[in-house]
This record gives sequence, C-alpha cells and structure tokens, in this order.
Amino acid sequence: MSRALYFVVALLLILATLVLGLQVGSFEADLATVANAFLNYDPDNTTHYAIVHLRLPRLLLALVVGASLAFCGYLMQAMVNNGLADPYLLGTASGASLGAVVVFFGFVEMTVAGIYMPPVFALMGAFVVTLVVVMLGYRKRQLIPAQLLLAGIAISSLVTAIVGLLTFLSDSEGKLKSVIFWSMGSFERASWSLLPYPTTALLIALFLFAFLQKQLNILLLGADRAQALGVQVVQTRWAILATVSIVTGFAVATSGPIGFVGLIIPHVTRGLLGTTGRSNLLFCAFVGGFFMLLCDLLSRLLYPPAGLPIGIITSFFGVPFFVYLLSRKNYKFSS
Amino acid sequence: MHPFLNRLSVAFFLLIALACSPDKRQPTGEERVWQDGLGREVRLPQQPRRVMAFASSMTEMLFAVCDTANIVGRTPQCDYPAGVYSKPIVNNYPVDYEQVLALKPDLVFTVEGITPLDVAARLEELGIPVYYQKYRSVEDIFKGIEDIGRIMGREQQANHLADSLRKQVKAIEQRYNQQAQKQRVLTITWSDPIYVYGQNTILTDQLRILGAENAVQEVFDQPYPALTREYVLKLNPDVLLGGSPERLEKEFFSLYPELRKIAAYHNKRIYAPTGNLIERPGPRVVESIVELEGFLYP
Repeated sequence: MSRALYFVVALLLILATLVLGLQVGSFEADLATVANAFLNYDPDNTTHYAIVHLRLPRLLLALVVGASLAFCGYLMQAMVNNGLADPYLLGTASGASLGAVVVFFGFVEMTVAGIYMPPVFALMGAFVVTLVVVMLGYRKRQLIPAQLLLAGIAISSLVTAIVGLLTFLSDSEGKLKSVIFWSMGSFERASWSLLPYPTTALLIALFLFAFLQKQLNILLLGADRAQALGVQVVQTRWAILATVSIVTGFAVATSGPIGFVGLIIPHVTRGLLGTTGRSNLLFCAFVGGFFMLLCDLLSRLLYPPAGLPIGIITSFFGVPFFVYLLSRKNYKFSS
Repeated sequence: MHPFLNRLSVAFFLLIALACSPDKRQPTGEERVWQDGLGREVRLPQQPRRVMAFASSMTEMLFAVCDTANIVGRTPQCDYPAGVYSKPIVNNYPVDYEQVLALKPDLVFTVEGITPLDVAARLEELGIPVYYQKYRSVEDIFKGIEDIGRIMGREQQANHLADSLRKQVKAIEQRYNQQAQKQRVLTITWSDPIYVYGQNTILTDQLRILGAENAVQEVFDQPYPALTREYVLKLNPDVLLGGSPERLEKEFFSLYPELRKIAAYHNKRIYAPTGNLIERPGPRVVESIVELEGFLYP
C-alpha cells in the first residue's frame, strides 16, 4: 500500500470512530440526532448539549492525547536509539502523578481562583521531575542517552515510591479512588476550555518536527554516524527533549498517565511504513490518535456508564498487537 | 538411630501434629452457635464479655446496646459517642492483629464489605470469632441491633431501642407516604471521579421513607458506582446532596460546569448531610432520616 493510502485510511478510520463515538453515551442518539446537534444546535436540548459539550471534547481530547503520546514515543525511541523507550522515560508520568496526588491528598486546595488544581500540579510535577532527570543525564555539556535512561528509571522509582507512601498514609477512601482513577487515565474531565492546551502543544511540535524528520531518521543510525552525516546531534536531542517534556506533560496533566500507546504505536508505524519513512512522525500521531479514540469507545461500550479506565484498555488491546508485530520476521527497530 | 535423635524426631512429629490438629476444645454447656448476616456459623464458647467492632456504625450499635465496660477497643474512624475516646484504637485497615490479640476480645463485630473474609479467617485462626452483619434496608439495621442484644445477653435493652426507632420511622413514613410527586435525590460521595450512592444502599430506603427516591434507579454491581457527567446530566436530579452549595460550587461545579444545567442547581436544592450520619447504618439512622427530611421539605 502506498504511503498516501495509509494516511487516507488512517484519516477515514479516525472520522468513522469519531462519528461512532458521538453516538455512544447515556442519552440515546442516532446518526440523525448527532447531525442535528451540529446543524441545528438547540441549547435547551440536553441531548444536543451532551453531544456538543461532553462527547465531542472528550473524543477530541482522546485523539490529541493519543497522538501526543505516540508522537513523543517515536521521538524518544529515536533519541535514545532504543525500541523500549517511551515518553514517560523522563519521569513525566511519575512526576505528574506526584503533582496530582499532592492536591488529591489535601496538601494544596483542590480549586484555587476557580481553577481545578490537579492538572496544574500534575503539569508542574511532570516538568520538575523531567528537569531533575535531564540534569542527571547531562554531562560534559551534552546529553548522554544511556545515563538519561537510567536517571529516568531511578527518579521515576523514587517518585513512585513517594506517591505510594502518600497513598498508603491516605485517610480517605475517596482520595484513594481519585488517585487510582487518575493513575489509570480518563478523558472524563475533557472540556472545550481544557482542549486548547494539549492541542496547541501538539500542533507546534508537529510543525517543528516536520522539518526535523530527516535528522531523526539519521539519528536512528547512532549518534556517531549521524554526526558524521552532518546531523547536529546535540541540538536535535535538546529539541526532542524539550518537545517531549512539554507535549507529554500536557497530555498527562489532562488525562492521567496512559500507558503503552507511546511505546507500541511508534513500532506499529515503523512496521507499516518502514523504519525511515519521510512522514513517519505525522503518521505515528494519526495512528496514536485513532488507537486512543478506539480504546475510549471500547471502554465506554464495555463498561457503561463510567467506562473502564483507559490505561487498562490500551494494554489489553495494544499488547497482543504489539506481540504480533514483534513476531513478524521482517520487522526491525532500525535499519 | 541414636536414642536422642529418635526422641527428638518423635517430639518434632508430635509438635507438627499438634500444630496441624484442629482446636478441639470441648464445648461447654454455654456454647452457642449463631448464624451471622453472611450465613456463616459463629461458635461462641460462652456469652461474650469482651467485644469490639471493625466498623464505626457497629461501634455505635455496641455503645447503644452493651455495657460499655464490655467494649474493649475502637477503630481510628470511630468518633461517636463520646465514650469511644476512652477505648484503645485498633487499626482495622490493615488489621493490627497483635493489637487485637492484646485486647483479647471474645468476639469482633463487623459489616459486610468492611472486613474481607480472609481477615476474618485469620482472626478465627487466632481464636477470635468474627460476626458479620449486612443491611439492605433501615429495618435490617434494627434487626442488627436486636441481634447484638441476643448475642450479648441484652435483649431487653436492644429490643426497646429497636422498637422505639421503628416507631419513629413509622411516624415519619406516614407523613410522606402520599407524596404524589417524588423528589429525585442524587447523593455524591466524591467529585473526581463522580461517585454516588447507588440503589443498593440504605439511603435508597431512607429516601423511600421520606416519600422521595434515589435518582440513580439503575442497579449497579457496586453500592457506590462511578458515573459520568453525561449520566448525571440525564438523571437531572431535583435535589443534590454531598456538600454545601459553596463547597460544591468550588469542588464539583467548577470541575464540571456542564452540570450547572441540572434542576437541583437551578432551584438551589443543594445540601450537605452530616458525614458520619448518612454514612453509618447505626442507631442514629433516624437522626439521619430527620436531617434528610429537613433538606427535602425545608
């Protein structure tokens, strides 16, 4: 199949899942009702309201977060030249969890000046922990991927232990539920006011890396060969690092740390388009978005009304496909 | 085999046999067998003299029925009546087995869902029987009070209390059993995610007594199901319980502004029930119903 055809298929699948997703919820809504909600929106009709203000932002957030995580996973795997890397390697997920838990357990007011604090603190936690990991992975004025990887694992473990301690010492079942729900990911908090943050971060990153795709592919050959071929390895790594921390930070802060998408979708992309495809990054974002949309839809169909935590669905449906991909003889991580 | 080794091995096997053999204490004439709320047989060699509860609601029941000198401990959550503060604290989650053993209770009372069955099995291995109660309605609570009375030899006290509570409930029920339009009440226990009181809770019966109904009519597996914003929007409850209007504005409606469309928000029917009243299926259940009455019929 040609590259363009892959893109068309991915786009059609996204559109089809969006249309299907708009029909699933507590209010019964068929295709005609959905169309009516957009073409003849009636603010007093609660079904219209639910479709436009609850379902659509939720689906779009799933799309954006899935795309963000897959895109960042691709970048991280290219940067450390290792197929095991994912966007949370820099401690983003554990840092965000710590930030959210600090609020859930009452160390900070839940709402300050009308702003709900868990996502704000999750974003701050993600940035602070990432910064510590980067500082530890930085030596002799350059980033050492192996060191960064180890620092990420070590600091993540430490932060996870702190989260575990706070959870253990929790005095309320409700707080525990919040933490558990948050840690498995959810799009239930999606709204039109929340959506612009992760979307803007992703769009800027996609635009930036549209120009760096070639350097990324060469980086997969290893730092020395990339350097010899004229790639500015240090600068490219910094660009990746900054992008991944910001884009993942926003994704995690809005939806919780959803696992596996950032790990498996880059492999799916390379499995379909080859290791060094020109538009791999963009396609990876498309597939990530579609996969997350599908997982959200499945979660709501399988366990209505609240839906299963999204992290469980991504693992259940993502991992078997990933295993199949790895077992294919002609799949290689890098050329 | 060397005679010493021979004796040692005999002693060793004897020890093993002793450790594995079931407790064969001969039942005394006083032994009674009770069937608890889960249908388990609870054997008590004699009438319990030292008891405690692993649930705050049951501690309240024990204080209402028993001689307080017979109550040997409380959980960290127990805060009513004032007398509980003179009792030593026992951690119930996770259970501090050593502390329980140190207090030597003859019987531990608990509620279905609060103490896992494997914890009860472990306590019974340690020689401490566990008696479960479960409640589906307000009447079940009264039966539970009478149950405790029978086990503790305080029938008169317990029956008197249960009958008096029944009378109060009946009087309230008669006031509202002709309600033409039932108010639909949604009670939230947590905002993020939204957890509510489902059908399988005592609250549903309390609302029925008051001529109202639980807005959550669907029966979920969990007593306190998680709901989506869309589900709550569809329920469109007349009354919302779970916090003061100011608190819910800050912690609930600011998080889910879409839910400002529900009738309870429009009509300013948002109330804060007292936590340790609404949550506890104990002897203060009538107090809780009276509090709810104040919200539903201001």
